[in-house]
Amino acid sequence: MRATSHESLLAWLDTLIERSTLVAPQRVEREWLYRPVSSAAAIAFDFQRTTVSPKGYFFPETEVLLDIERRGREVVMGEPDLAGDQLLFAIRPCDARALLVLDALLVDRPPADSYYARRRERTTLVGLACPQMWDGCFCTSLGSGPADASAVDLMLYHDGDGYLVETVTDKGAALVAGVDWPEVDRPAPEPEITAEVVSVRPPDEWLAAFDEVVWQRLADRCLSCHACTYVCPTCRCFDVRDDLTAAGPGYVHVQRLRAWDSCMSPAYRRIAGGHNPRPDTAQRLRNRFFCKFCYSPRDFCAVACVGCGRCIAACPAGVDIVEVLRGV
Amino acid sequence: MTQEIETGIRIRVKKLLDLGEVSCVIGHEHGPRGHTRPAFVYDSADAERLVWDRTCHHNLVAYVRDKIATLARGAEPGSTPRVAVVARPCDVRSLNVLIHEGQVTRESVFVVGVACPGMLDAGDPEAQDGQALHCRYCTERVPVFYDALVGDPPKVKVPDEPWPGVAEVEAMPPAERLAFWTQEFDRCIRCYACRQACPACYCFECLAEQVDPPWVSIAHRVPQKAFFHIMRAYHLAGRCSGCQACEAACPVHLPLSLLNRKIAAEVEALFGYVAGANPDTPPPLATFRKDEELPL
Amino acid sequence: MHETFEPKIVGFLCNWCSYAGADMAGTSRVAYPPNVRIIRVPCSGRVDPLYVLKAFQEGADGVLIAGCHPGDCHYGDGNYHARRRYALMHRFLDFVGIETGRLCIDWVSAAEGARFAQVVAQLTENVRALGPWTGWNDAC
Repeated sequence: MRATSHESLLAWLDTLIERSTLVAPQRVEREWLYRPVSSAAAIAFDFQRTTVSPKGYFFPETEVLLDIERRGREVVMGEPDLAGDQLLFAIRPCDARALLVLDALLVDRPPADSYYARRRERTTLVGLACPQMWDGCFCTSLGSGPADASAVDLMLYHDGDGYLVETVTDKGAALVAGVDWPEVDRPAPEPEITAEVVSVRPPDEWLAAFDEVVWQRLADRCLSCHACTYVCPTCRCFDVRDDLTAAGPGYVHVQRLRAWDSCMSPAYRRIAGGHNPRPDTAQRLRNRFFCKFCYSPRDFCAVACVGCGRCIAACPAGVDIVEVLRGV
Repeated sequence: MTQEIETGIRIRVKKLLDLGEVSCVIGHEHGPRGHTRPAFVYDSADAERLVWDRTCHHNLVAYVRDKIATLARGAEPGSTPRVAVVARPCDVRSLNVLIHEGQVTRESVFVVGVACPGMLDAGDPEAQDGQALHCRYCTERVPVFYDALVGDPPKVKVPDEPWPGVAEVEAMPPAERLAFWTQEFDRCIRCYACRQACPACYCFECLAEQVDPPWVSIAHRVPQKAFFHIMRAYHLAGRCSGCQACEAACPVHLPLSLLNRKIAAEVEALFGYVAGANPDTPPPLATFRKDEELPL
Repeated sequence: MHETFEPKIVGFLCNWCSYAGADMAGTSRVAYPPNVRIIRVPCSGRVDPLYVLKAFQEGADGVLIAGCHPGDCHYGDGNYHARRRYALMHRFLDFVGIETGRLCIDWVSAAEGARFAQVVAQLTENVRALGPWTGWNDAC
């Protein structure tokens, strides 16, 4: 464990900006959001939970998969340029753990999502432990905690006016190589665990509850918007379409786009001919919880929820995932 | 004040369900974290769950149409299911819009009207004497119609500024105005919570999601977000009752009601029309007067 | 930059009056700026406000909507509806950042070739003065 002052940390970050894109929490009107910053001074160190998770820096809201240009009989296809390093600064332990879930779902089993994998590869994660648990946080119910350093490269802990720095991986060690922060011999402060631990049932117990009427009652208030899935750090559904960006005589320019999609939308599951296997809100809402707590652990060995509490905060109708965990 | 409303709602609802006058009541309850949220009550024993305070921002009319349809699916053929809804004056005007547009029949809804004391700001309850923006200029305390009224109509304070925020944006130079909206829309996550929370947005397929052919690309970029919000606001011209449920629903707190207020201000100035005030008056863009002089 | 800027204007013209008016301008050899791309529609009442928004989104710098004079609509009342719609649209687009000068709604009869030329010339000048429409581009 090493110790650093706030000023020294900012100076260190400013040297890193020259080598990589620095993404860090910023205050945008009423929200905290992860945004690329041009100076370490712009970072909002007092942030709690950002409104939207940082997954977009690995799995962007919109990305160009292919750039297709046709001139006469010649067709040129290009991939986006994914070179350049990213430094995700002040990622919370839950959001970092969410990347492990995404790894399990998108990379670990072939075929790997090469776009996600490449972004993941070139990004270094600097964690910032939560000083406390906030309203809606339930990471402790999912085997993690506000100071869990298991999924980051380098971990920072608040320590008075400065920070304690823990090197977790080689990637993290490379980042602080040559920095003159002194070694100290004191443990990281333990944040208070304020949320009640809720047990997550195994997949077969979820399957037994598939036909319960509780899903109908729960869905009464669900508005079928996409808020929960878009703020979620582990939701990763997408849609792919070709956008015609320019056309003229003998010339066509098309971009194959991938953009976030949501299983909460009625259109998500609609198939050719108009049939929809999940026409009702209740079926869609149930599927969201089953995806996280039943299908993902069963098929990919990873519960696809990290307890960040964003969906609870974002839901305009007050659907509460912890209430669901308790009720099932 | 709100205690009286809450008690009134519970008494009414209990009676309605006991007598079987309605099959479901849509009101508010406290969620597990103490925040108010929509509640659906089917049994009179559950009426005690219902609450009402100045944080009940949801326009519950948004649920009415689909709830009636769902109940009708399970009902005896020929019988018409009826639901009760707890509604503020602005909510009732949006119900009026739905009735006029043939989405809901007056007979299928029992309106528990709330004599509204004004709501607290959704995002920031501490700010500016706590009153939500749309309530600061609202002079309506009693719904235009109801089947039962709860609470005592409070006194109306005439607002100094009828359309807050609109003049500030209008006063910006064009380039600044464009930059302002670009910055706001940039934050949008295209989750459609605004649309889903809105009673007047009931299209089976929103054209923001229409894919064959697409009006709007699936990309989550500022032009698409701007297109969606501008289009939605325009589709609500003369139909938006100003309940501000969209803004309360927005997870990133976009000033969506500013768009609606601008349109409402223009609709009132050009056509002398207030959305949902009267179920028999057609909305301004569905009618015309031959002799009117409109600035083009 | 503005000296070399040629505005792209999309013109929605009603089939019965304004499109014929544009024809009249041509057959009468009245000169007018070539900046307008004409789309023929059955009636000015057929012009969905989305067409206007979409035109701006796809890169138009200005939009013209022209129909029969009020009272002369081939279908009776289409242009009365259009009149209400665009009186509102005009003000709203200005509020969200598309300046008033970029959108024009006017009435041109089949006989008014010279007037059509005048309307197009005026709009082109307005848009030229405003410069290219950049749209709501990504802030970051």
